This record gives sequence, structure tokens and C-alpha cells, in this order.
Amino acid sequence: MSSENRVQVAASFILQSPPGEINDVLNDVRVIVDDDAGLEEGILPALREYNIAQFTTVEVPGEHHQTIISEFARVPDTEEERYLDPRSKISFVFNHLTLEATDPQSEEPSEVEPQRAALESAALSYLNSHYHDGVVTVLAMSTTRFAIQIVSNKYNPSNYWAGRWRSHYEIDFESRTIQGRVLVNVHYYEQGNVQLSTSNDSSISIPAAVSSLSPASSASKIFALIEAEESRCQASLNDAYHEMGEKAFKGLRRALPLTRQKIDWDKTMGYKLGAELTASNRAFGAQPR
Amino acid sequence: MAEGPDPVDSMLDLMRRLPPTNVEENVNALIQICPDYADDLLGSVDQPLKVKTDRATGKDYLACDYNRDGDSYRSPWSNEYDPPIDDGTSPTPKLRKLEIAANEAFDTYRELYYEGGVSSVYLWDLEDGGFAGVVLLKKAMTPTSPDEPSGSWDSIHVFETVERGRQAHYKLTSTVMLELVTKQNNKADETSVLHETEKKASEQGWKSSGEITLSGSMTRQTEQDWPVHEPTSHITNTGKMIEEMEMKMRNLLQEVYFGKTRDIVYDLRSIDDLDKARRQRELQKELVGFIKR
Repeated sequence: MSSENRVQVAASFILQSPPGEINDVLNDVRVIVDDDAGLEEGILPALREYNIAQFTTVEVPGEHHQTIISEFARVPDTEEERYLDPRSKISFVFNHLTLEATDPQSEEPSEVEPQRAALESAALSYLNSHYHDGVVTVLAMSTTRFAIQIVSNKYNPSNYWAGRWRSHYEIDFESRTIQGRVLVNVHYYEQGNVQLSTSNDSSISIPAAVSSLSPASSASKIFALIEAEESRCQASLNDAYHEMGEKAFKGLRRALPLTRQKIDWDKTMGYKLGAELTASNRAFGAQPR
Repeated sequence: MAEGPDPVDSMLDLMRRLPPTNVEENVNALIQICPDYADDLLGSVDQPLKVKTDRATGKDYLACDYNRDGDSYRSPWSNEYDPPIDDGTSPTPKLRKLEIAANEAFDTYRELYYEGGVSSVYLWDLEDGGFAGVVLLKKAMTPTSPDEPSGSWDSIHVFETVERGRQAHYKLTSTVMLELVTKQNNKADETSVLHETEKKASEQGWKSSGEITLSGSMTRQTEQDWPVHEPTSHITNTGKMIEEMEMKMRNLLQEVYFGKTRDIVYDLRSIDDLDKARRQRELQKELVGFIKR
């Protein structure tokens, strides 16, 4: 297999990394591919794709908060991997391998900043109410469209588990819709490898009355809709757990046979069969009767 | 490559991290990168069991690395390889007799606990005396309606036994692979049957669709000594050990799949308003301080 193909396979492994385990996967891949130079050169696109897909967060230089590395936050017209933190209006160069943010620069706010800032403030208070360690980014995509990304991570390698919740919403004030996607991944790996993976797509209409409200009021109405949808999504996950436990799990293997007793193995063996085997050969240390 | 970590260790670590739903394609990708380690990988990474049909008896059996010779698989029912091969490895006549009996016994076990599915037992002699075997069980559930969950259970029990006088020592390694999938579809007005109402509902309100997958495997080991009176004692002994092990593992899987993973989701997001709870706690503290004064 050519070096190029090996790096391609390595990239596919990296994109499958569970929450918080990309460095472990990278270490394994380094040993397996055994070509550091080729890997270093060829792996960057996969790392970039992973960081954007997984809502990787970074501390904004000079600020006391984190922002999400997102395609929507990419500063246009530059060769650099430069991303905007819309909250502080600071852009920075992001290194997809070391996850470092450098070279901060101030950016001009867009003309829809009041609406964006109102959504951000509603988003932060929503985050505070429902997420334990969440990060949110609100970005203006055009004068009427906004993107909201939420990520919440919990890594506990000493107890062999990790989890990630990602929410993505696109709010369109013109067509009055919220398109949303919630993705949850959990990895539990103590003497095993068990993963929960969920995806939920939703489409919510924004009531006509909302558009005539002030930015602050419309933002809080929109987050009321998002809150309702996310809570419904989490509750329906609970229902699915119940269904899978009651219907599928019990249907696959019973806890005990219908008799409510463990098997009597001597009976199961059948006396005829046992006798026949004993008579025909006395191998395996059998005692003559 | 004189020093540094063993590539096989890295491959096994990697397989413990990547999604269990992709295990087959990831093992194949690893084999393409490192063909020299193909046997190590196929022998140590458990993959979902394949169901095959015995051409001679029409009975289903399970295919895995233990009944494979080249590209052919041996059926425990007819002892034939498919596709047929000359001089494919087969147990000695003595061991084959025990294998036939073990297949019958575990077929009964399968019916009592799984009420369906397929089972297969394969035995082989060990070079330093004694013998080894694998007991395989598989059941899949296909949903009857789109809202019903689907699932599959694969058990792989590998054991080795050495006789010591009238006792035999058993070493058992058990892996259970379990996958459960639920699809969900919701609309603003779930009871609406009419096309027009449905359209109106989705225009006004919301619709959502989702998929939930719980998949993975867990492995446990045990070593035990049991008395041996006759050859079939080995079946009774391994039967009891496997029954006990599956009981433990079923409880463990239930705890991890439906308990642990669910708790972690609630560690990420809370349905209850955390801010409200925080304010309430502060108010309580203030009140307690007020009363104390």
C-alpha cells in the first residue's frame, strides 16, 4: 500500500475518534502507519475536518471565554486558518494540530450585530440553564440568517468514559424557520467498547408575531422554542432507552428460561447420548464405570 | 522496527476506541495497511458472527475465525467445509463426537434462553494435551414496524481445558456484542391521518426525525476447576460456566447500556433548569443563615 493510501486510511480513523480521544487515536495511528513525515504532511485536512465537525473549542486569546471552530466563523479572503469569535469580535489563527489560537486581531461588527448580540445573550442564558460545561457561538450568516452552535463535553478517562453533545441551528427570519440538528456521542470503554450515537433533525416554524418584536424579545422567544425542542429530544431519548430495554434487549436473550430455573445440564445432555459416548471411547480422562 | 510500541497493541487499542458499528471495515483497513498482522488481528478482534446455511442438513451455523480454513467455513452439523476443500482441518474422531454432543446441548441452551437465533460449537485439540473450543450464539431482531427497535446479540465464548486427574481446569474468555437501534419520527400533530392536516401541522409547528444507536462489546474472563467423570462432563462443566457468565454479562450490559450511557447524557445536558436550581439553593442558604441569626 502506498504511503498516500496509508495516510488516507489513517485520516478515516481520525474522523471516527470518540469524544476527547483524538490524541489516543493519533498515537495509535502513528505507530500503525510508521511514517511520521508522510503523516504530518497528509493528516492536516482530516484534523481540520474533525475540528469543524466536532465543534472543537478554543480559548480566545486575551479573553476569558471559549469559542467554537466553525466553517461559519472562518474569516473570508485569507489563506490563513483564521476564525472569528463573534462574542469578542476578535479573530485568530487556529492551528488544527496543536489546537492553539494565535495572532489576535479586532474585526468590525456586521450590520446585524444588534440581532446577533441579542441571540447570543439569550443563548448564554439558555446554556447556563441546561448545560453543565457548554460553549455556544452565534454567527450572522446574512442579514436574515444566523447560525447557533452549542457543544458540551465531559471527558473522564480515569473512569473510562467520555461524552459530547452538539446542537446546530440555522435561524432564518425570512422563511421563519429554525432548522436544527442534535448529535450526542457517548463512549464507555472499561473492559469493552460501548458507544451511544444519536442524531435528531428538527424543523421548527417561528410564529409570525415574533418578527415584529424587539431583537431581545424575539431572541428569547426563539430560545424558548429551542429549549422545548431539546428537552423533547432528551425525553424521547429516554423513551427510546425504555423501548430498547423492554422490547429489544429482553427479546434477544431472556434473563432465565421460561421455567424460571437454570438449566439442568445433566438432563440436557440426554442419558442416551452420554452413555453412547462413554461406551465408545474413554478419552478425556473418563473413569471406567 | 526494533523498538517502540508493538503495532498489534496499537491496533487493538484503536479498535477499542473506534465505533463498534464500523468494526468490520476498520479491521479490513488495518489489514490493508499491515498485511503481516492479519492473523493477529483476525484472532484478537471480535467481529459480528456470520450466519451460514449447511448445504447437507439445511441447518444454519455461525462462521468465525475458529471454523475458517482459507476462505471456507466448516459446519458443526455435517462437518463439511463450504466452499468444499480437500484436507480442511477437522477435529479428531474422538473430539468430533464430543463436538456433536456439545452442539446438541448448546442448541437446547439457545432455545431456552434465546427462543430463536443460531448456535454453533467448535472444538480443537491443543498441542500440549487438552483441548479448546468456542461456543457461539447469535440472535437478531428485525422490527415489525418502523417505530420498533431492532437489535442483535452475538456471544463468543472461547475456552481451554486441561485435565488434572479427575479434575479439569477451564479458562473461559467471553465476549458479548450487542447492538440496539431505534428510529424516531415525530410531527406536530401525530394523530393526523389526512394529508391536508398533516401539511398544515408541519407548516405551523415542527417535525423531527432521529436515530439512536447503542452498540458495542464487553469481554470478561474466568478460570475454574470442575470434576470430570466422563467425556461429556466437559459439556456439563462448560455449560454451567457459560450459563453463569452470560447471566453476569447480561446484567453488566444492561447496567452499562441503559444506565451508564444515559447518566453521561444527563452529565452533558440537564432537562431541569440548572439556573433555577442554583438560585433556589442560594435562597435556602440565605434563609438558613437568617434563622440562625
